[in-house]
Amino acid sequence: MKNVNWLTCVCVLGLVAPVFAQQPTAAGRVKVASGSAFVVRGGTELPARAGENVFEGDVLRTGADGRLGVTLKDDTRVSLGPASDVRVDKFIYAPSEGNLALALKIVRGAAAYVSGRIAKLSPDAVRLETPAAIVGVRGTTLAIKADE
Amino acid sequence: MAGPNGILAAVLVAIAAAGAVACGPKRLAEPTPPTPPTGQALIVLLPDEDGTTGRATVSNAAGAVDLAAPRDASHVTGNRPPGAVTTMSEADVTRLFGNALSALPPAPRTFTLYFRFESDELTAESRALVPEILSAVKEHSAPEVVVVGHTDTMGSPAANFALGLKRAASVGSLLVTAGLDRSTVEATSLGESYLLVRTPDETPEPRNRRVEIAVK
Repeated sequence: MKNVNWLTCVCVLGLVAPVFAQQPTAAGRVKVASGSAFVVRGGTELPARAGENVFEGDVLRTGADGRLGVTLKDDTRVSLGPASDVRVDKFIYAPSEGNLALALKIVRGAAAYVSGRIAKLSPDAVRLETPAAIVGVRGTTLAIKADE
Repeated sequence: MAGPNGILAAVLVAIAAAGAVACGPKRLAEPTPPTPPTGQALIVLLPDEDGTTGRATVSNAAGAVDLAAPRDASHVTGNRPPGAVTTMSEADVTRLFGNALSALPPAPRTFTLYFRFESDELTAESRALVPEILSAVKEHSAPEVVVVGHTDTMGSPAANFALGLKRAASVGSLLVTAGLDRSTVEATSLGESYLLVRTPDETPEPRNRRVEIAVK
């Protein structure tokens, strides 16, 4: 369903290459990458470069000298220090259907997270996991309206 | 309900998952040596970029703690309850998380543009924001400009979806004409489903006739 609206807009605007419309919708995009930084998809390490798409199920990975920063479609931001793995377990962002979910698993290393619209619209839909604990983000009290 | 507009500067949580990883069938190959049977985590709540601080709950099967103040931290080992909340020093935050924090992409910037009644024509004030939007795009690497059209509640939801899309497309074209790379722009519509100002159906409301642009 999410793709319907999105594809409609693609057709109307012609702003995105048609071949891209055949692929699953990206969950986000790499914005910052330095040192050894990878997006792991289907077990294959792809070098992470700024502009690279990130999909649900991907693992963000850095080596000993790597750093990696990603902005998801709902404006959630996540970044990794060196020697870290973060898996995008779930990403659903279809606000027109009220369908929202975000699950990130910090498998190892150090990561930073800044919540986005999913946390604002539906705090219970956000789940950050580590091997030892789960973190629930309660951003509702922080939702700041800004009309610039 | 409140609209999705506006910059959400929400909880900033930094997490270090040290050492162990429970084995699972879907786990991808790890470059780490064989792991001990339990994991550890350190969760720290940090202030948002706007200076406020959010809240987070750290939990596992054995218990839960709330983080609510700047640099509130909880250390979790294995299946034991999350550790009591302590305040981490700024120096320790930098030491443990400086690299990760320095890789955070810049915050997306949002702009709201308004339209004349039942039209895809921007108000003069909103049209004047275009140069500022273009300069915001230059602040981001691999930039994305997401244009979402909204309407007031006059007319049917279907017609308003179409009008929202027309508005988003119109603004997308305007930005491309003004010099933005076409491939960076995405346009979509939420019609009348996310009102900025809550109104009954069939209510003209200029503040609901808008597009919200996220530059990231």
